[in-house]
Amino acid sequence: MFSVVLRRAGAVVAVAAAVALTAPAAVAAPRAAADRTAVAVSPVDLDGPAISEVRVTVANAGPERMRRLSVGLKGPAGWAVQPAAARVEGAVRPGAAASVVFRVQVPERRPGFTLRTFTATASYEGGDGRGSGTGTRVERSGAVLERLSDAFDNVGATSESDTAPGDFDGEGNSFSAQRLAAAGLSPGARVDALGAALTWPDVAPGSRDNAIARGQAVKVEGQGGRLVFLGSGVGYDAAGTATVLYADGSSTSGAVGFPNWSFQEATAHGATLVGSTDGRNRPDGYGDAGVAYRVFAHAVELDPGRRVAAVVLPADAGMHVFGVAIAP
Amino acid sequence: MIREVPEVPRRSVLGGAVATGALALGMGALGAAPASAAPGSGPAEQAAPRRRPGQKTMIGVPYAVHRTVRVAVIGLGNRGSGMSAGWAAVPGCRVTAVCDIRADRAKRVAEDLVGAGRPRPAEYGGAADSYAAMLRRDDIDLVYIATPWEFHYEQGRAALLAGKHVVVELPVATGLDELWDLVDTSERTRRHLMLAENCSYGRNELAMLKMAHEGVFGDVTNGHGGYLHDLRELLFSDTYYTDAWRRLWHTRSTASFYAMHGLAPIAAAMDVNRGDRMTTLSATATAPKGLADYRERFVPRGHPSWREKYVNGDLVTCLIETANGRVIRAEHDVSSPRPYSRINSLAGSRGIFEDYAGTSATGARVYFEPDHSGHSWRDFAPYRKEFDHWLWKKIGDEAEGGGHGGMDYVLQWRTVQLMRAGLVPDIDVYDSASWCAPVPLSVQSLARGGRPVAVPDFTRGSWVNLRPGLDSRMTEMPPV
Repeated sequence: MFSVVLRRAGAVVAVAAAVALTAPAAVAAPRAAADRTAVAVSPVDLDGPAISEVRVTVANAGPERMRRLSVGLKGPAGWAVQPAAARVEGAVRPGAAASVVFRVQVPERRPGFTLRTFTATASYEGGDGRGSGTGTRVERSGAVLERLSDAFDNVGATSESDTAPGDFDGEGNSFSAQRLAAAGLSPGARVDALGAALTWPDVAPGSRDNAIARGQAVKVEGQGGRLVFLGSGVGYDAAGTATVLYADGSSTSGAVGFPNWSFQEATAHGATLVGSTDGRNRPDGYGDAGVAYRVFAHAVELDPGRRVAAVVLPADAGMHVFGVAIAP
Repeated sequence: MIREVPEVPRRSVLGGAVATGALALGMGALGAAPASAAPGSGPAEQAAPRRRPGQKTMIGVPYAVHRTVRVAVIGLGNRGSGMSAGWAAVPGCRVTAVCDIRADRAKRVAEDLVGAGRPRPAEYGGAADSYAAMLRRDDIDLVYIATPWEFHYEQGRAALLAGKHVVVELPVATGLDELWDLVDTSERTRRHLMLAENCSYGRNELAMLKMAHEGVFGDVTNGHGGYLHDLRELLFSDTYYTDAWRRLWHTRSTASFYAMHGLAPIAAAMDVNRGDRMTTLSATATAPKGLADYRERFVPRGHPSWREKYVNGDLVTCLIETANGRVIRAEHDVSSPRPYSRINSLAGSRGIFEDYAGTSATGARVYFEPDHSGHSWRDFAPYRKEFDHWLWKKIGDEAEGGGHGGMDYVLQWRTVQLMRAGLVPDIDVYDSASWCAPVPLSVQSLARGGRPVAVPDFTRGSWVNLRPGLDSRMTEMPPV
């Protein structure tokens, strides 16, 4: 057992017994210099409100003694973690590990699906010679929505004869359903984009037809090379990170975003233009003729060797998602 | 000329008011540092007093289980009489004794309780120290104090020393030495003392707290709260505040008397004393115009108030920094014409909550990423529903008819539940002392031209530890 120094808000507080070093189970064999330091985060009890303990273990896989080891843990945004970082006194022998216990303020469990990400970082001298390492634990809870339409919470397209229900942009404006149809985006229509066959929402104009990306988890099953999103953006920064959950429990993530529906480069955020309409529906009827209002596609890479189970949409209210599908 | 009120104990004057009085008189203020003093080098920076041998923290100490909580009430004016009925209405709680310097009030409250079908409490009154006799009773578990501010410390301390747990109306004390003494007395007697901070149990405030813990605000960076209540009519009433006690504080202190109603919920959302702590306070005050102007227009010449000079600024603002780099603005204004507000605003890296600003039934508005975009405010109602505290879900209907929108009853119900179930208090003596520290600290800072003064760490270092508080787990009230 070693003493540890806790750093918090610039202050340094000495705390004992927060760190344990474990010796190798057997005499450590010489290790290749390429072996990486392993940083592992223990499971987190998410049954809040409560203070949960989380253990971060740093295993020295390198050939040298690990010195000046400092370990930090970061939880989901806004969650308090105590301490923010801890410095391990002494050295960690090759093949041995040091662990630090952190305390995390866990809120009340929320209904619906949540991903809680905990990232531990270790910085050190010696060991594998790399100087730092990270480890992440993603805790999932709650149910995944059966289909994207279960997440629809916004009216993006209206009939030119009744524009009142629309509110794609938060100011009461919406796509013209008639002009979308002219561009091939009619209710239930197949939309081919980035190699995927997507379906335009099969709902009547003036109905909820898209999901504002708020981190919802939606079931998407299959295998392929890319996961394609169909949608459009409000504001300049309609982008975020989508997380793909695989059936084997693993996950990958990628950046996805849509340009503003009218006034941003069509390739902004790496998106691809799918369809364009002339003008839009305003609260008082069709208008803004001569201005293009557009729908885009964007994809994130998949691990083709694993079966997709679900996708967690980005958390950016500027992103409106009309469809999602797997491309081969 | 600053005049003292004879009833004010000398200790209170020394603690909360003499700095102001001395300053107003042109004397060297007690504890005032030279103008060249470095920020934070004021009296509060002094090391925390050492614990006596054997004295231990009260953090995390549960109440002993009480089958029935027997409450005694000291102070039966507007607040105390109303709260007496509230205590008696909580399942498993009985008011066993009531006390007021005016014996007729004790009799009236006792009769009101009997009229409501409750057992008749013992009555004490007739003298300033009548409460001391009451505290000698052995059928009292909890003492609730609702007397004028100048008596809170003395009576709260006496109740602790008598072996009772204590709930004290705002503020628990007005001097730093008093606050430290209450902390020490609580630790030595192993009895809890709690500020009756009912607004900490407000529905919006508790939802705000739960949202902060969920991370809805991202990293919380700042919050604003306060007590902005036009009390002028009541302050000049000849009947509302007994002997005009509250108005007289405006003649002898520059303090931010009563900002805790807004400060405490913000402090809770920032986990003050539970991972963060208030470190420095700097105060500003506007000129004291409001009361004199009101008197000029509405109070007849010859009224006793015409002999008074008001020194308490109309708007006293405290800027408080925390160890984790957050900033709290706590305001106090009871002498200006304005609608009521406790401000209740919390903001962070991902959004903002503002109470007393919206048009919905909740009175609040919000803006959070990723839920919102477009730079326009949104209704708080769906968030309050989603993050509604279990206390309001459970007893909100019962509480609605109670005082202050139900906050009083929630505080009383929860306090009784904590004692009956043998749980750790949501609000402890350290929270109470911290939230009341701006009373004397605002005086100190104003006397130093607004320079920052250090906020004591009443936990003596334990503030670094995360621990539960008002964001509690749902528990049942033990059956009666």
